[in-house]
Amino acid sequence: MTEIRLQVKPVLRAVVPFVIALVLGGFVLLATGHNPFDFYQLLVREAFGGTDRIASTLSSATPLLFTGLATAIAFRAGVFNVGVEGGFIMGGLVTATVAAKMPGPLAIPVAMLAGAAAGVAVSAVPGWLKARWNVDEVVTTLMFNFVVTGLTGWLVTSFLQARGVANSATPLIPQPNWLPDLLPPYALTSGVLIGLILTGGYAAWIRLSMLGYELRQTGLNARFAAAQGINTSRVIIVSMLLSGAIAGLGGATHALGIVHRFVDGFSPGYGFTGIAVALIGRNSAIGVVVGAILFGALASAGTTAQLFSDIPLDIVDVLSGTVMIFAVIRLWRQR
Amino acid sequence: MIQGLLHSSLLLWTPLVLAALGGLLHRVSGVVNIGLEGQMLGGALIGAIVSQQGWFLGTLAAGATGGLLGLLMSLCITRLGANEIIAGLGFTIVISGLIGYLLRSVFDVSGTLRVNGLDPLPEILGMDPLFWLAIVLIPAITWALRHTAAGLRLRATGDGFDAAGALGLPVNRIRDTAGVLAGVLAGMAGAHLVLGQVGLFNEDMVAGRGFIALAAFYFGRSRPWATALACLLFAVFDAGQARLQTEGVPAQLIQTLPYVVVVVVLTATAVRDSRGKARRAG
Amino acid sequence: MTIRLGAREVSRAFGAVRANSRVTLSVAAGTVHAVVGENGAGKTTLMRILYGLDQPDSGTVVIDSTPVRLRGPADGIARGIGLVQQELAMIRSLSLLENLVLGSEPRKGLRIDWTEARKSADELASTAGVEVPWDCLAADVSVSVRQQVEILRALRRGADVLILDEPTAALAPAQVTELLRLLRGLRDAGRTVVFISHKLDEVLAVADVITVLRHGEVVDTRPATGFSRDELVTSVVGEHVGSGEFPSSAEIGDPVLAVDDLAGISLTVHSGEIVGIAGVAGNGQEELVERIVGLRPAPGRISLSGKDISGFSVARRRAAGLGYVSGDRHTEGLALDASLTDNTIAGTHRTLGNFGWLSPARVRSQVERILTGYSVRHGKTSAPVRTLSGGNQQRLIIGRELDRKPPLLVAAGPTRGVDVLGESYIHTRLRELRDHGSGILLVSEQLDELLSLSDRVIVLHRGEVAGEVPGGPESRAAVGDLMLGRRP
Repeated sequence: MTEIRLQVKPVLRAVVPFVIALVLGGFVLLATGHNPFDFYQLLVREAFGGTDRIASTLSSATPLLFTGLATAIAFRAGVFNVGVEGGFIMGGLVTATVAAKMPGPLAIPVAMLAGAAAGVAVSAVPGWLKARWNVDEVVTTLMFNFVVTGLTGWLVTSFLQARGVANSATPLIPQPNWLPDLLPPYALTSGVLIGLILTGGYAAWIRLSMLGYELRQTGLNARFAAAQGINTSRVIIVSMLLSGAIAGLGGATHALGIVHRFVDGFSPGYGFTGIAVALIGRNSAIGVVVGAILFGALASAGTTAQLFSDIPLDIVDVLSGTVMIFAVIRLWRQR
Repeated sequence: MIQGLLHSSLLLWTPLVLAALGGLLHRVSGVVNIGLEGQMLGGALIGAIVSQQGWFLGTLAAGATGGLLGLLMSLCITRLGANEIIAGLGFTIVISGLIGYLLRSVFDVSGTLRVNGLDPLPEILGMDPLFWLAIVLIPAITWALRHTAAGLRLRATGDGFDAAGALGLPVNRIRDTAGVLAGVLAGMAGAHLVLGQVGLFNEDMVAGRGFIALAAFYFGRSRPWATALACLLFAVFDAGQARLQTEGVPAQLIQTLPYVVVVVVLTATAVRDSRGKARRAG
Repeated sequence: MTIRLGAREVSRAFGAVRANSRVTLSVAAGTVHAVVGENGAGKTTLMRILYGLDQPDSGTVVIDSTPVRLRGPADGIARGIGLVQQELAMIRSLSLLENLVLGSEPRKGLRIDWTEARKSADELASTAGVEVPWDCLAADVSVSVRQQVEILRALRRGADVLILDEPTAALAPAQVTELLRLLRGLRDAGRTVVFISHKLDEVLAVADVITVLRHGEVVDTRPATGFSRDELVTSVVGEHVGSGEFPSSAEIGDPVLAVDDLAGISLTVHSGEIVGIAGVAGNGQEELVERIVGLRPAPGRISLSGKDISGFSVARRRAAGLGYVSGDRHTEGLALDASLTDNTIAGTHRTLGNFGWLSPARVRSQVERILTGYSVRHGKTSAPVRTLSGGNQQRLIIGRELDRKPPLLVAAGPTRGVDVLGESYIHTRLRELRDHGSGILLVSEQLDELLSLSDRVIVLHRGEVAGEVPGGPESRAAVGDLMLGRRP
């Protein structure tokens, strides 16, 4: 009996928020004169009905895989990093700039490393402040998102702006420096593979490495960890640096694979959706993959559904925001 | 010139301080309200529409909308155990999504809604009524927190949630009430944006002001006067933007200033706290 | 007889642990009724239920001879019940006066009438015969003062039944005497007191009626005059435990721990020796332990087996031969949501693999050795440690720390919340470690434990060493004096 409950609980925890979101979204659709069942059917068809649709879903899931993983790794250490959005954006800008200028076969790896470093630069300060002075990371990372948005917005309209482009964008990255497509003609780049490899690495590292062990214990009970001799400050910093690096890599693959430059509005909130992904996935590797695909499906299907019906894409925000709110509620009364 | 700057600063100050005072009350009860942004947006839309019946009703409706959204958010936090940060971000995403959806599917506009017969806020002694409301609220809240039973209970709930609960105080209801008040004030702040400043509704019009309000009550360490002063500082920067820009300081950088300031203030506070602790321990 | 407050067949379980099982209790008006029992006998759960903070799974609370349902503390308060909890319900950032009136503030119009509040506070304090610095923040006064304010608060709200949960746990003996006097005074003024304790002498000194709880069940209720001390001990413990047992150290060797002016404290622990640290809670024990373990920075020198470890991190101190049993099992000794395995390898995990990767085989063998060797009754090792009973959790900690045979063990409250059998098991293992040649620094609030285990007892008072006495039951009076800062 308890065996079964242990199996069912995590699944229910992930499913219930989606059900609540679909029901609430259903009311919104009904109230505005649409049939929710038709719309949800259309969504499923547009998300998974055919190779092209699946490719498009995976493509939309790719940035979320990175941001979800980046969030999960920090959350796992008990660090409430909501600044992945900032790392993603900064990584995108730096990678796009490097890749646009650099010729040769090394351009892609160098540009990606630069992106990861940019992500690290964004997460390092809040991480250090938290580890050294116990400065509340929720607020600092949230604030850093806005700082980074402003900073990149300024850079892209001043030094890094492409010549001859109407507004706020860096020069186009030359085609040899784009990430290769996986399934031509579909727009699925090899970025998804990088994301999956990273996620697999995270799964092994968190379970089997000593540092991964220390990270888990720090997240579960920091005082316990410190009393057993774990250097919790170091763990916090490591988790923030890894989180920032993955966020930056996410921005890098997005720039090299999809956008091929940096523009103002580069991320439509991938970092924030990544929080929902990590929460739904309970910070586990498999959970992050499933969560990224679900939210990716919503985004990609929502975009095309908008073309076939007169239902605005904004409904997707309503759904994913609702999932986020209900991702962490108590489902059972705990006694 | 200076007078113009002052006037526009005070105009920008009003919605900031209203939302920040709301967030401050919620903070005193022990909840960090990240949902102010969404509540402002909701208040702005409903306020704009209802103001066809007059600015007063419009403002009330905006407050009611914010209050309702605040209540829903608070219930998720207090009764369902949702994380306050996640719930706040989630509500902001849902509300802006819902508003975008309604604009496009019901009002058939893309992003900007011009309301026929929108009734702008009147002027009383050169400023609008919501400005005067804010002016009254700052001392009123300061006084109420110290000298009323409600204020004492609010502080008790924030500082000792379990202890206050063990004394029989309805701590969850107290937090919900604070959440509703925060929503009401944020909703009215939204009304000020649309009825006191812009004159039409745009889905991006709040533009991070909810988060700047958050920055302000962090900066003011949950004290009303200090919070109001922080809002004034941010408002002056905002108003002075155009001028600074002509002198070569880019707007995007000025806009990040409140956020940088918050990080600095939080750090300074944390450093001081940990120094104090070390001294006491040693 | 009317029952002012009571329970009828009350049962309450937390997961697999039965805290209360068909408990029936009748407290008559105008009496001091003591509920006694070992740690974990279910006293606190019962009191929370009587006050309305918790609800029984079955059975009912009885007030004025009528069964009632209390939905929350407000219901209890409305019926004249007041609770003074173990962890005091004081809000630290508020002044004592604010704490006193919180929840039933005297008002004048909208505002709180501070003059009236002040007047009634002074009146209350003088009737109870105490003086209270009303304008101080709760955070800045002693536990004893906070407790007095809490009792006054209950009285002020019209409580005529006071439930006190382990009120003497953190008090010095003189403060205890004062508290007992206050309680008798309250009874004589017609109030009813329910007094929970595991300190039998206090109970015999103040109670009219005594109810004994064991493993969540009522095993006896009698007028206090009907109990001899020995009978009460037997009733509480269930089986006779020899209290005269005191095998002292066989062989005392070189110093393993030398603490030199560590925030004002100097002491030495030799190999083959148990040194006890006594003191009223909050007199610097916790800080001393944290400084030795490395969790709290401090000026002064610490050396371990002759090696200076003053600047070392916790990890390096552990590697140098320090073992640590935390006094706070749930927040520091264990990660309750982590698996048995993860809890068992904590601290030694860096030795269980190569190149930064854990070796699953070595982890498994170490976990099996410790869990078996220390008789931890357990299911799957991947289950969270939360699923173990309190006694087994503590055995896991003891096993984790003793398995390495550390030259120095710092043990704070190693038997806190453990039943009697578990306690004697842990005592045996600690003596074994000592006889094997390790030094042990034992910090405990239980004087009996300290005196029966320690070779020497060092008493702390206000963060300083007040004195030192040899172990053994005959030192009890001397330790009691030193705990108050008096020279014996």
